[in-house]
Amino acid sequence: MDILFASIVSGVLIGMVLALVALGLTIIFGVMDIVNFAHGEFLMVGMYTGLLTAQATGMDPLFALPVAAAVGFALGILCYAGFIKFLLRGPMIAQLLGTFGLMLVLRNLALLFFGSEDRALHHGLLVGKSFDVGMGVILSATKLATAVLSILSFGAVWLLINRTRIGKALTATALNRQGARYMGIPTERMNMLAWGIGGATVTIAGALIVNFWSVTPYVGLIFTMIAFTVVALGGFGSVPGAFFAGLVVGLIMEIPGFWDFLQLTFRIGWMADVPMISFKYTWIYVAYFVIMLISPRGLFGWKQ
Amino acid sequence: MKDPQKSLRRLSVAVLIVALLLPGALFAAETIKIGVLFPLTGGAASAGRELRAGAELAADIANNVMPDIKMAMARNAGIKSLGGAKITLIFKDHEGNPTLGADLAKKLILDDKVHGLMGAYHSAVTKAVSGVAEQYGVPLINDSSTSPDLTRQGYKWFWRATPHDNYFTKDLFEFLKGMTEGKVKGLAAVPKKDIMNLAAACEKTEWGSAVAELIEKFAKEYRFDVKRSILYGAKATDLSSEVRSLIAVKPDAMLFASYGSDSILMMKTLKDQRAQPKILWGQNAGFEVPEFVNTLGDTTIGVLTRTVFMPKVSQVKPVAAKVNALYKAKTGNDLSGASARAFTGLQVWVHVLEKAGSLKPADIQKAANSIEIAGEELVVPWQGIKFATTGEDIGQNILGSGLIGQYQKGPSGKIDLEIVYPFALATSNMIYPFPKF
Repeated sequence: MDILFASIVSGVLIGMVLALVALGLTIIFGVMDIVNFAHGEFLMVGMYTGLLTAQATGMDPLFALPVAAAVGFALGILCYAGFIKFLLRGPMIAQLLGTFGLMLVLRNLALLFFGSEDRALHHGLLVGKSFDVGMGVILSATKLATAVLSILSFGAVWLLINRTRIGKALTATALNRQGARYMGIPTERMNMLAWGIGGATVTIAGALIVNFWSVTPYVGLIFTMIAFTVVALGGFGSVPGAFFAGLVVGLIMEIPGFWDFLQLTFRIGWMADVPMISFKYTWIYVAYFVIMLISPRGLFGWKQ
Repeated sequence: MKDPQKSLRRLSVAVLIVALLLPGALFAAETIKIGVLFPLTGGAASAGRELRAGAELAADIANNVMPDIKMAMARNAGIKSLGGAKITLIFKDHEGNPTLGADLAKKLILDDKVHGLMGAYHSAVTKAVSGVAEQYGVPLINDSSTSPDLTRQGYKWFWRATPHDNYFTKDLFEFLKGMTEGKVKGLAAVPKKDIMNLAAACEKTEWGSAVAELIEKFAKEYRFDVKRSILYGAKATDLSSEVRSLIAVKPDAMLFASYGSDSILMMKTLKDQRAQPKILWGQNAGFEVPEFVNTLGDTTIGVLTRTVFMPKVSQVKPVAAKVNALYKAKTGNDLSGASARAFTGLQVWVHVLEKAGSLKPADIQKAANSIEIAGEELVVPWQGIKFATTGEDIGQNILGSGLIGQYQKGPSGKIDLEIVYPFALATSNMIYPFPKF
């Protein structure tokens, strides 16, 4: 029974983290209809920013969050103003290949500057701490903090979009760019803002994740794939959708845990021989495939 | 009339070309090129640095006269039977990637025209490289890859100095059996039911999956119960579901085969999830690189790892102490199972070349098949080196053996490996059960 609770809790926590990772992707898509292949690389930049800031200043990695947010915001705006803006004039395929190229550039710059070695944080206020809350559930402090921050970020972004004038302008740009421009909304700046916010949320996620995951220049790809699944499931462009889909994907990642639970509770011999854990990420891609087949717009998708 | 400046320029270019070619032409016969493939970047980069330093040190000793080291290769400068030819190592970084390893091996053979190869640490890479070596008929001496399958391919150009995992995993079960019989230093006999249940987590490439199979095989033979055996990706960034799966079966002993950064992540996750095994054993690699202790500190106390070398060996082998001192001066670290084997691998190359007295592949092959190196020559505590030419393991060194060490804190506060197996060599009382995280 313990492993069931532990798996559910772990799935929910990881789900919130993944939702935060996917938030930026869905914002950018929502506003501009651009699929950012370099999203995982933004996360990687956030991870390195968190790691290096903490190591260079000797501060706790949590204090690196504002730095990571600033770097992410600047990176998002820089990418938009220096590159993406020009792609918008081209066909859809140019935008796809363009962000793909951005991914390669960022990854290789990271390789150049940081080398391909794994790096991890080993010290920090939360690093290595965990709480035993009973029933076999052990909460790791870093994941808990990340989950809490994920909820806060979602709340902030939701408020920004639904309760502020800037949010209305963003939504208007998303719905009808030309119409928005006629109404006097500076759509160019809105696009830039979407990239800035998108970049900042994902680098914050990165700076938090580096508290419990190690970073290499290649770490982005797995997160890009997971973020795509989350966004596809939640619906491209939907902020609440990304949150709930994150939870679902987190629980999907725990399928091996549920499998163990069934095997140990009902003592089913053959189940122990199935290498579920070796295919832990496979289920995410299976889910992605199924979603695309059944409901290409996802759970909360609102854009045509 | 010709432009004098132009002809001057032409002349200087010609001189430059001749100057560049000349040393090559003059000394070409006097260098022996060995292509060495190691993971110098990527997850196992810290092991790669160790391996590289070990091989370089052996080449230094072979290329220079060092009378205070009692090794045959320290007596001469270069290879005597080849007129004092010096050894040059050409390092290539395969990043733990088998495809890249095979490509680099081809490059070394075709472009660099190496006389022989050494490497490649990761068994999966070694397998790919050994295929290339076989195809081109270039000798490959392996120093530290332990998947048993490597010497079971029937290859004629592959020799392996290190014992393989069949030996090491058997050692583990001999050790567990010894525990139940009270043979372990400082420990009364442990009832078998206390250490009966095992759980294993091995990385899922060639090496780890071979280890997982061997653990199952020997557990059956020695009547232990493997409750859970999982294979995980060494590049995984999160191992919490893996660890939960291990903990769920409440194992007495947890067994691991991990490469580099994954071993550290595994330990951190075990600590996070408050695992409580009585025995925690690692199949060297990630469990014995200096980073393991440097990063995890006191968490490592009580962890067991199989290896072929630990600094304590120096106490019984003077030649190991000498080499270890040189290695420490060079890198700041003691020799480890990885660096000691890279050192030994290159030493085997030196002996083989000395015996062959020629750089023809066929002569090198003949020399490797008939070589016998005495145990006194080696830094590792083996009986010696002699390669099998018949039987199940072609090209396997049949005189190697393994050790099991345990991380313990010495009186100086430094954490070091102490020998706990073989029982006769034990340097310290065993810590049992494994301290709680």
